[in-house]
Amino acid sequence: MNELDKIPVRQEISVAQGSVKRSNPLANVFDELVRFCQSRSMFMLHYCTGCGAIELPPAMTSRFDMERLGIQPMVTPRQADILLITGYVSVKTLKRIILTYEQMPAPKYVIGICSCTVNGGMYWQSYATAKVLKEYLPVDIYIAGCMPRPEAVISGLRDLMGDIKSGSASNWKRYFQNYDHYLGNQQKLFDEDWQTPTDIIAEAEHYGLITDQTLGEHTALLQKHQQPLEALEFSLGEKREKIRGENQ
Amino acid sequence: MSKELNLWLDDLLKDIKIIQFKRKNSRRVRIDIAPEALPALLELLQGRASYVHLSAISCVDWIEENEFELVYHVWSYETNSLVSAHTRISREPGVYLSVYDLYTPAAFFERDIHEMFGVYFEGSPDMEKFILTEWNGPPPMRKDFDSEAFVNQTFNWEEYHPQWLKDIEAEGGGITTRPEDVR
Repeated sequence: MNELDKIPVRQEISVAQGSVKRSNPLANVFDELVRFCQSRSMFMLHYCTGCGAIELPPAMTSRFDMERLGIQPMVTPRQADILLITGYVSVKTLKRIILTYEQMPAPKYVIGICSCTVNGGMYWQSYATAKVLKEYLPVDIYIAGCMPRPEAVISGLRDLMGDIKSGSASNWKRYFQNYDHYLGNQQKLFDEDWQTPTDIIAEAEHYGLITDQTLGEHTALLQKHQQPLEALEFSLGEKREKIRGENQ
Repeated sequence: MSKELNLWLDDLLKDIKIIQFKRKNSRRVRIDIAPEALPALLELLQGRASYVHLSAISCVDWIEENEFELVYHVWSYETNSLVSAHTRISREPGVYLSVYDLYTPAAFFERDIHEMFGVYFEGSPDMEKFILTEWNGPPPMRKDFDSEAFVNQTFNWEEYHPQWLKDIEAEGGGITTRPEDVR
């Protein structure tokens, strides 16, 4: 077994295992293999917010062909790894982005494309556009440009792949670890009674990522304004009768 | 045929004393009209001259004159021409009549103008929030709404010269062309 000890083992945090470094060197090798496989099979959520989305079809299809790197578009957040924010984020869209992001299973990665996600871009004066995306979500990689060419998009995705392979792409954990901070920024922009259907605190518990930053004054507000879910009323019959009554 | 119709319409509209008539080219006419007379003009154009298509209602905020300018663009498929009827209403209280009874699509435009400028249209079917459902501030397209001040008050900004850029610059890289150099 002496040969095994000579195998260089990386010290970075394993994506699959959280911050716990495994004592078995073979397990570390296995983790590395898992990370390599993860980085070569990424599903990109097909959700586009602004003009930068126009660079994605050529990046995905035959001209630049992202699929050769193992990146494919996926239509539902439940089955996707990457969330691309392709352009300006209006306050209304930001709500939907957060809902989408929270639905994605971990590990998940956010890429901010275009200048607008960095600092509002050419919409810096607009009352309706959220400026700094990373205040509301942990962003893994920014691809700046107005708008970046498909080459730049692919280069950014390759950087992300490298980060995943080395295990340093762990920004998604920050959302659980600093949930109070992110929620506070969201509440500042939306309202005090801002709610999402995903229970982030329970998920943080599940991943073992609860820190003293997870809960705080903002999550207390979340619980204060929480309303129990109620079943929707099924009222097709009534409506029909109503329409009938109106016709008569 | 359509050209002749246009000429007849020109003669007709020139005869009305209370409006200012100006033909811009063969397909565009500008009419300036008092707000009391505008619904009557639209009714005349729709009923008698086949201007059946309301393309848009636009609004301009003339804050110095304390007025809103409403522009009704109506299109005729018979004469292939567009009439833009301009009218000015007082900025306070900013209430005007809806033309929903003449043109149904007006509900859409009037709701939008109500949201963006705060002009209230009496008789419009729905004056609720439309696109800015999550906006609680003043109507944002009014000239007295300072968007820049609002943004500076509401949002934080990314640091323009962060540490990582300084690190790159220390290695001889960084921004090659600054905005000042281009302008």
